[in-house]
Amino acid sequence: MRIIVKIIALLSLFALILPSILFLFGKMTNLNQVKRYMLFSTIVWFIAATLWMWKKNNQRQENST
Amino acid sequence: MSDAEFLNINNESNTSLEAEESSAAADTHRVGEEYERQPVPQHALLGFGSFIGMYAGEHCAGTELMIGSLFVAAGVGAFDLVVGLIIGNALAVLSWMLFCAPIATRVRLTLYYQLEKICGRNLVTLYNLANGVMFTILAGAMITVSATALGVWFNFKMPGLNDLVPNSVGWVVAVAAVGLLFAVCAAYGFKAISKFANVAAPWMVLVFLTFGIIMFRQFVDATQAEIHSAGDVWALCKTAIWKGGQPLPGQTKFTFWHVMFFAWFCNMAWHIGMSDLSVLRFARKSWYGSASATGMYVGHFMAWLAASMLFAFQLHQTHPNQYMIELLVQNNQAKYSQASLEKSPLTPDLIKEAMQIEDNLVNKGIIKQVDKKVSVPTPLPGPLAYSACGLAGLICVVIAGWTTANPTIYRAGLAFQAIMPKTSRFSVTLAIGMVATIAAMFPAIAMKLLGFVALYGLILMPMGAVIFVDFWLIQKFGLQSNYAQLTRKNFNWAAGLAWFVTLLIGWALVKFAHVQIFFVSLPGWFIAAILYIILSRIYQKKIHSAENGLI
Repeated sequence: MRIIVKIIALLSLFALILPSILFLFGKMTNLNQVKRYMLFSTIVWFIAATLWMWKKNNQRQENST
Repeated sequence: MSDAEFLNINNESNTSLEAEESSAAADTHRVGEEYERQPVPQHALLGFGSFIGMYAGEHCAGTELMIGSLFVAAGVGAFDLVVGLIIGNALAVLSWMLFCAPIATRVRLTLYYQLEKICGRNLVTLYNLANGVMFTILAGAMITVSATALGVWFNFKMPGLNDLVPNSVGWVVAVAAVGLLFAVCAAYGFKAISKFANVAAPWMVLVFLTFGIIMFRQFVDATQAEIHSAGDVWALCKTAIWKGGQPLPGQTKFTFWHVMFFAWFCNMAWHIGMSDLSVLRFARKSWYGSASATGMYVGHFMAWLAASMLFAFQLHQTHPNQYMIELLVQNNQAKYSQASLEKSPLTPDLIKEAMQIEDNLVNKGIIKQVDKKVSVPTPLPGPLAYSACGLAGLICVVIAGWTTANPTIYRAGLAFQAIMPKTSRFSVTLAIGMVATIAAMFPAIAMKLLGFVALYGLILMPMGAVIFVDFWLIQKFGLQSNYAQLTRKNFNWAAGLAWFVTLLIGWALVKFAHVQIFFVSLPGWFIAAILYIILSRIYQKKIHSAENGLI
């Protein structure tokens, strides 16, 4: 399960930056569309990364005590 | 302590160039309350990778949005900015490698304990007080940055670039809401917010990068530039993005030297000021100080350039309003026309001329002082980020400010708590958060952030010089190092006076010799070092004579 959320989180980071790169090279011309993709990627990142990293943080604390 | 624990603890303090560290008390927290008064043992030392992640995360924060934009307001040119940042950041990395890390990896003590051995407990308390005050003001700037995001939603009157005091009820209410939220969270849920900061850090770095990418394309479209080579990119940078020329009214003109010294010294408290002794004492080798390059070139290069492009594009797109056009045309019809001004970008020269005309009208009694309407474009991170990246940009501004303000308020609380140990951490943190909130209502702090950051480094730098001299040089002059520990003094007057007199000389250089504050720290370091040697010679002899007399 954790490997899946990790992959989703990393993909969401890729999806965050990809629209802006397409916009830079003129492959995506609508800035509002870029903003929407960024917002969607942001939401996915915070859900997936929280599941991935928060749990990891807690495990570290448990292991260290 | 494992690598993971170290990173976890260090990332709790997260972000910010300016926010980070320094407080001795905060430093002890930052390294997990371990080895506070003993050298870090061999088995607890860490690898290079541990420091790379920590530095990269620490230096990409909300205040970068202000700093980048203020460079543009200061009329910086492309070469001056890019080359100044490359060299200034390299000097900062070298300062970590050659000043801080060699001592850190030899003594392996916290800044707090090292200072206590040299200066005595009472002087360290004073150092903590100075640190706590600076942290509180800095937290105020971070709250200001986040509060600008609320202006996009609620459309209240935002502060201007040259405003010193709050200018609308809406602004005061927004800052109060944001500041109190941050203060309560820092007091109640510091650890939870710190964990959240860890989650947000990679995303935030990429959003900063996105600001730059999108803005570059916007400039290409707005200027109809043809980009076929790196030379074309550089030409666009020079002619449209960082054009140089006059600064906006009320701002100091930034040259190559300003940028270089600012980049070098904006973290002065950490490297030359030795705050990062507490961190780098875990490093196996002193060259691990080079890991700070990740923070410098992600946060203090990429993020500053991206943030500066946001404000540069706002300036590029802004034209004189009808009021300004009328003032300029009526005053000089030969030079200006309605049609030409409507298409002209709003330049610092135009703003200054319109302000001058307005001042003349006030002097002649034609308009009142309160009716003056010529305003200077203001870098407000919220609206700037929203224009580039929409809601994701706005979220970035709030989170960048929050995750930075959280450890800053907390550390300020720890610094003050070290002075008043009987007070609970919760109430001190809450009180500091409230003071920071009040400070945040005054936009002068955020709008003058470049000067404040330079001042921050200057205030704490002399103690770094004291540590450096005490470790490397003082015995070569036949004097004792760690003198407070040796003589059980609570206040080493040689170190104390070296600190105070350096600050006094620095103040005099700024006030009377008109040396800009960005350039005072370099001579200041040598002044502090020389003073400490001379004063130690006098002080140590005096103490010995007194002791011999007693005997």
